Amino acid sequence: MSHEVEILLVDDSPEDVELTIRALRRNKIANEIQVAEDGAEALDFLFCRGVHKDRSPDRPPRLVLLDLKLPKVDGLAVLRAIREDERTKTVPVVILTSSKQQRDVIEGYNLGVNAYAQKPVDFEQFGEAIRQIGMFWMLINQAPPPKVHEAGKAQGA
Amino acid sequence: MTSSDKVTACALLILVGIGALSFWSEERNEHDREWVTHTLLVVEKLQTVRIDITQAETGQRGYMLTGKERYLELYSAGVQQVRGDMNELPDLIRDNPSERDAIQTLQPLITARLAELDAGIEVRKRSGLLAGAEAVTRANNGEKWMGQIAAQIGQMRQAEEGLLTRRLETEAASTTKIKAAIVLGNSLAILILLLKGLVIQKEIVRRTQAEENLKRSNVSLERRTTELSESNKELLATNVELESFAYSVAHDLRAPLRHIAGYSNIIAQDYGPLLDAEGLRFLKKIIAGAQNLGHLVDDLLGLSKVGQQVLSLEATPLDALLRELMDDLAPELAARAIEWRIGELPVVECDRVLMRQVFANLLLNAVKYTRKRDLAVIEVGQIMLNGERVIRVRDNGVGFEMQYAGKLFGVFQRLHKAGDFEGTGVGLAVVQRIVRKHGGRIWAEAELDRGATFFFTLGSSAIIPRTDPELANENEEEAMHVARS
Repeated sequence: MSHEVEILLVDDSPEDVELTIRALRRNKIANEIQVAEDGAEALDFLFCRGVHKDRSPDRPPRLVLLDLKLPKVDGLAVLRAIREDERTKTVPVVILTSSKQQRDVIEGYNLGVNAYAQKPVDFEQFGEAIRQIGMFWMLINQAPPPKVHEAGKAQGA
Repeated sequence: MTSSDKVTACALLILVGIGALSFWSEERNEHDREWVTHTLLVVEKLQTVRIDITQAETGQRGYMLTGKERYLELYSAGVQQVRGDMNELPDLIRDNPSERDAIQTLQPLITARLAELDAGIEVRKRSGLLAGAEAVTRANNGEKWMGQIAAQIGQMRQAEEGLLTRRLETEAASTTKIKAAIVLGNSLAILILLLKGLVIQKEIVRRTQAEENLKRSNVSLERRTTELSESNKELLATNVELESFAYSVAHDLRAPLRHIAGYSNIIAQDYGPLLDAEGLRFLKKIIAGAQNLGHLVDDLLGLSKVGQQVLSLEATPLDALLRELMDDLAPELAARAIEWRIGELPVVECDRVLMRQVFANLLLNAVKYTRKRDLAVIEVGQIMLNGERVIRVRDNGVGFEMQYAGKLFGVFQRLHKAGDFEGTGVGLAVVQRIVRKHGGRIWAEAELDRGATFFFTLGSSAIIPRTDPELANENEEEAMHVARS
């Protein structure tokens, strides 16, 4: 497992995690995935704290799949922290959640989320949604060049 | 004028009458007092006549005996006074004719007596004491005259006093009657006014009571209004709570449902080959059930969302909205033979997104239930019902039995078997909720196997009148155009 983490999946439901990873894998998206089961763990990973203190913050994931209803620190708070930190503020974040409530959607976009998707109940639709998200963000989307992160780090230091 | 006013007027009239009567009566009393004074004057005058004659006699007698001038002066003064009295008397008694006659009788008697006295004086002057005495003695009429004079004066006095008595009696009798009238009238007026007062008192009591009753019912009305508005608030709060409860339940149901659907699919994908036909059939049932439940939950969430949504009203031309909607639906309906009959539709003040959903649900409903027709005919238009603009969606589909019409708009209520027509039974509930949110009503008419018609209004304020005069008199389906999809 020497690959760099490219996708951070933040979800407290092991079933959703398993179904999501399966959908990604079945669609040939083989990027390294890190799972965080609550908001605090996600922040620890992103900012290299706690169990992730040995990780380099210069290498943020290429995509964060973020659930909203999370233990400890909720998804919107995680999003806010990501956007407020120079090292992570350009990381693409896709909210993938059960909630389609308008205020969550509005708040998500206000905080600078890149996309907002509801987890479909239907397995086929769920698989299709995950496939499209993975394909777009991992293959089609042009990520910001690494020097943006470096510049960010320099400013943040 | 009310009878009460008449009674008051009557009492006032009586009081005025009594006032006039009292005044008149007082005038009469004044007159009576004048009569008494007059009579006393006459009686006194008669008395004076007697006294003055006596003075003349005394003077004459004194002169006859002494020849002194002093007596002669006394005599002359007496005579003078008698003459004056007799001049005044006729004036005093001119009101009484019988007394006038009596004076006619008295006058000569007095004249005669005075003449006799004078004759005696003359003899005494001329011939001295003895001749005078002799002449007086010879005549010797003095006593006779005086007796007659006194009798006459007495008679006159009696007559005058009798007259007074009669007058006073008559007056007293009528005064008694007037007094009785005054007392009676006053009593009557007082009685009337008392009665009137009683009536007024009663009326005041009645009004006061009515006022108090009104106040009481006002207070209780206010209390009830307050209670009602409080329970209304509670109801609204409960409703909001229920909505959000339904939302969170539906929301929380989605995750385990997703897991059931997901893992069932994984079994089918990964372990399908290990299962026999029956095992696979059961698995497919689980997958279908989860899918079905997923749709129900999603529809329920949609319904709950409509309930919580705040209307964003804007003037919306329904014909344009319908055109857009039909363009969007066209790909889905490409396989169907449908004759669309779209009539004129009004511009309404409504939430555009929700109104689109109303038409979408109603049209898809019509499309669904006409599936078995070779040519489906779906009409959309407006009609006037009792002065109210009603929008109508009619199809020639399978319809339904009117006895179940009440269930049509209930959540999860379906009038057809799931095997015949798919659906969750939420679509029309959503439509009803949206229509009601706009202040309108929705209802349906149908005949089994002949089609169904849905009618809805949007509340009187929602319709924006068009300026186009051609539309002013429209009734139904004017300027209809027919489209085939």
